[in-house]
Amino acid sequence: MAHFDTEYQRLEASYSDSPPGEENLLVHVPEGAKSQWHHIENLDLFFQRVYNLHQKNGFTCMLLGEIFELVQLVFVVTFTVFLANCVDYDILFANKFVNHTDSSKVTLPDAFLPVDVCSARIRDNVLVIFILIISGVFWLHRLVKFFYNVCCYWEIRSFYTNALKMCMADLPNFTWQEVQSRIIEIQKEHQICIHKKELTELDIYHRILRFKNYMVAMVNKSLLPVRFRLPLLGDSVFYTRGLKYNFELIFFWGPGSLFENEWSLKAEYKRGGNRLDLAERLSSRILWIGVANLLLCPVVLVWQTLHAFFSYTEVIKREPGSLGARGWSLYGRCYLRHFNELDHELASRLNKGYKASSKYMNCFVSPLLAVVAKNVAFFAGSILAVLIALTIYDEDVLAVEHVLSSITLLGVCITVCRSFIPDKHMVFCPEQLLKVILAHIHYMPDHWQGNAHRYETRDEFAQLFQYKAVFILEELLSPLITPFILIFCLRRKSLEIIDFFRNFTVEVVGVGDTCSFAQMDVRQHGHPAWMSAGKTEASIYQQAEDGKTELSLMHFAITNPQWQPPRESTHFISQLKEKVHREATAGQQGTVSEAHALASTHSLQSESEPRSLIANLLAGPPSLASLHLGREASLINHLSIGMSEGASVLRSLSPLSTSVHLRHSYTTTRLPRTDHAAGPGAHAMAGSGTDAHTVSSGSSAWEGQLTSMVLSEYASTEMSIHALYMHELHKQQSHGELSRHTWHRQESDESDHDDAEAARHLPRSSTFPCTATPNQEGAALQSSSQRRYGGTTDTLCGSHQLQRTPRVPMGGWSEAPPVSRHHDPVPEEELEDKLPPQIHKVT
Amino acid sequence: MNCRSEVLEVSVEGRQVDEAMLALLHTILLHRSTGKFHYKKEGTYSIGTVGTQDVDCDFIDFTFVRVSSDELDRVIRKAVAEFKDALGSSGGDGMGQISLEFFQKKKSRWPFSDECIPWEVWTIKVNVVDLANEYERQICREKVGEKLGEKVINVVEVINRHEYLPKMPTQSEVDNVFDTSLKDVQPYLYKITYQITDSLGTSVSTTMRRLIKDTLAL
Repeated sequence: MAHFDTEYQRLEASYSDSPPGEENLLVHVPEGAKSQWHHIENLDLFFQRVYNLHQKNGFTCMLLGEIFELVQLVFVVTFTVFLANCVDYDILFANKFVNHTDSSKVTLPDAFLPVDVCSARIRDNVLVIFILIISGVFWLHRLVKFFYNVCCYWEIRSFYTNALKMCMADLPNFTWQEVQSRIIEIQKEHQICIHKKELTELDIYHRILRFKNYMVAMVNKSLLPVRFRLPLLGDSVFYTRGLKYNFELIFFWGPGSLFENEWSLKAEYKRGGNRLDLAERLSSRILWIGVANLLLCPVVLVWQTLHAFFSYTEVIKREPGSLGARGWSLYGRCYLRHFNELDHELASRLNKGYKASSKYMNCFVSPLLAVVAKNVAFFAGSILAVLIALTIYDEDVLAVEHVLSSITLLGVCITVCRSFIPDKHMVFCPEQLLKVILAHIHYMPDHWQGNAHRYETRDEFAQLFQYKAVFILEELLSPLITPFILIFCLRRKSLEIIDFFRNFTVEVVGVGDTCSFAQMDVRQHGHPAWMSAGKTEASIYQQAEDGKTELSLMHFAITNPQWQPPRESTHFISQLKEKVHREATAGQQGTVSEAHALASTHSLQSESEPRSLIANLLAGPPSLASLHLGREASLINHLSIGMSEGASVLRSLSPLSTSVHLRHSYTTTRLPRTDHAAGPGAHAMAGSGTDAHTVSSGSSAWEGQLTSMVLSEYASTEMSIHALYMHELHKQQSHGELSRHTWHRQESDESDHDDAEAARHLPRSSTFPCTATPNQEGAALQSSSQRRYGGTTDTLCGSHQLQRTPRVPMGGWSEAPPVSRHHDPVPEEELEDKLPPQIHKVT
Repeated sequence: MNCRSEVLEVSVEGRQVDEAMLALLHTILLHRSTGKFHYKKEGTYSIGTVGTQDVDCDFIDFTFVRVSSDELDRVIRKAVAEFKDALGSSGGDGMGQISLEFFQKKKSRWPFSDECIPWEVWTIKVNVVDLANEYERQICREKVGEKLGEKVINVVEVINRHEYLPKMPTQSEVDNVFDTSLKDVQPYLYKITYQITDSLGTSVSTTMRRLIKDTLAL
């Protein structure tokens, strides 16, 4: 008994030595836990701000910019009011004399009214008071917004310095791609996004460009009412900032918009059940917003006018030619934008195409106008010359009434006339210019091919590339026209819009609801005429026009070489790259030196410009093989030899190129050994660890060796080549079908077939992201990230299927008239028939 | 939103509502609670114990485990009772949802109040059915029990995944992550809200707040 007792007590004693869960269960808080960047609530906004801060070159620049904007606003309003009310114009124009005692000179202060008179005049004028109140409210709003922004961006600034370890002064040195790769890196330790362990480039792009992708897709599917057929002006495009703002207000963020918050579409819009009801509601909302626009119209109009006056008058006076200059229109920017293309990428691409585009537009001169302009310029010039000569002789001439003003007017008149007079040394080569443009802008309608010399093509191109003057005019008219477009055009489309958002929204884990086009999935949205034949399962309704899916995919893969595309896309990309490579090699056989000789002679003739590309293209008729035959000189070399050759492609495309460069590249081809010797050196210079870009999907050999700044330049070149190739192939494909009608029939037979098949396939394709059950996930790594968010159970995925299957017939292509199923080649044909054949310019 | 959201759907009879809700909410909270932290010094702590207890349901063939904390139980029962009242008084088709939101506080500088950032939201959608006779009730009693069992396993599966959880805080930050008001248990900060189908859709105040935020955003 005693034996048992002792044993028991010993145990108890040892137990009391370490009470449960005390000393032996001490837990330490890890050091990194103090980071404040884990789990950010609104990642969309966060990434947008990170991007904005990067684009605006740091906090200080941004702050200063905003402050100056506020000051400018005050200035514009006060100055206008002052001019209108406090100046005695009689004195200024010397209609009334001032009785000065000391001197006879009129000074500026003499023309100002005394303060009390001035304030009395302001007080009496109701309109002025009205404007003052409105702008005061507006300014206060801006002020509050400014302070709010300063607070927000201060946080982003500390994110840059603390988390990304980039100081603000260095920010301009980093490309966005570098910032992005750091964000992806720190996601691993901070978990900014809690849904997944790792972010991908596409996730970040999706979040920043969520709504822009929708807009691009809507323009691509011609859903937005921006094209109008007007009685006098013909086909025209009207898309202004005001209209865009209203669209965004209606769809994305305004009160009662389709989106619940920044990342999710409202649940009722995802279900097809009460689409008519929803369309009704949307339509009435559009009506109200249109009416509100109409009511606010005077205010906006006054504001627009004032703003335009103050921002453009000075420019026009300084260089009147700027009105004749062109710029990419807002519509053009939307039409030409890839899915998932950030602002700076688009801007740089379009800027590269600018010179060629304005050259192209200047190719077209109206001979009649030229004659008139020449003569007007002559007369105006002679008068101007005399006036200037007289002034030089005695400057009192200037004091004569209206002399100064007539000199100014005549100057403006001559500048305007000169823009109508063709350049004597200009060469008319629209087809080649258009090709160069295409290399940068990546998109153009099919019927432009081979019709570059026609005025119709020019006019259509002018819709993308409009005069500044037209732009300003449209902006001024916008407040008047916008309400009517909203009320009469957009409202009619409300059902289509509802259908669009329902059919083309997918929920991606970790991102939220995005436009399904922005997934750049060739299978879902590919167009058979754009190299994805056989891979795509999309109906006509689901296909993106102009090969947007394919080109966007290429563009994204090239700009973000580290991105791991889903399997089908990888396949598509590598296939395309291989094709480009193969064609190039095939073309190279035996013709290298010849092409080089040709190219270099041509580039010797041309002063600068992307001419060398033209020269390359000139090397043969524009068939596919010869396209490469011309281009392969540079292309194949950069694929096979490497860096310096890549540089030569770049030079040949970039406007900086001079004739010497191509020559230079020619000589370097001969000396590949030195290139390789140079390679490691460059690597050592650039290899600062963070910039070690891995070569993804076997793209180009030199990618791994360069800093990302250089890399992005090469990327744009590579993309240009691919875009040209795809367009060429597309052209061949659509021309290759000699008898289009049989092709049609074949196609329609097939598609009839497809209809039946589609019924079987559709559930699968429409719920594509849902397919991955955990077992399959291992196989398709990417699909897990795209798994449609369907609650916790697999059965819910099933219910999604059921929901989504009837979607396509509703508002899908079954509603569209059957003719439109082959609308791709048809308009081209029509247009060709319509064109008067005699318009044909030869130089 | 940067948070996980899980949806559970159940359809139950009127009198089963509160037990079913309690079962699910308690199951989730059981896995989202820890013992009280006792900080030895800044950054080092030991964790207290958490007791569990089985609860048998009266109207469902089901037994669930909950944290044996009467305080926590009281809070949840109160929320569920409110939900049930609202559901009963709505007189609609008996649809509603109750959501349990785990959030984290983030200290902001002076002009802004502390942000509550959710990291996980559990939404339980309830469909109340009317039953005609006792026989059906018997069947329902078993059926709902089975269903709840499935849901509990579901919850456990979700919680077992290695996904984001707030990092363990230091002593000064413990209030930003855990609800320290209870004396015997320490769940992650949570919030229970409910909605009845009629009033689904955003309320006026949230719309206004969004509007203001949107206009302020750049």
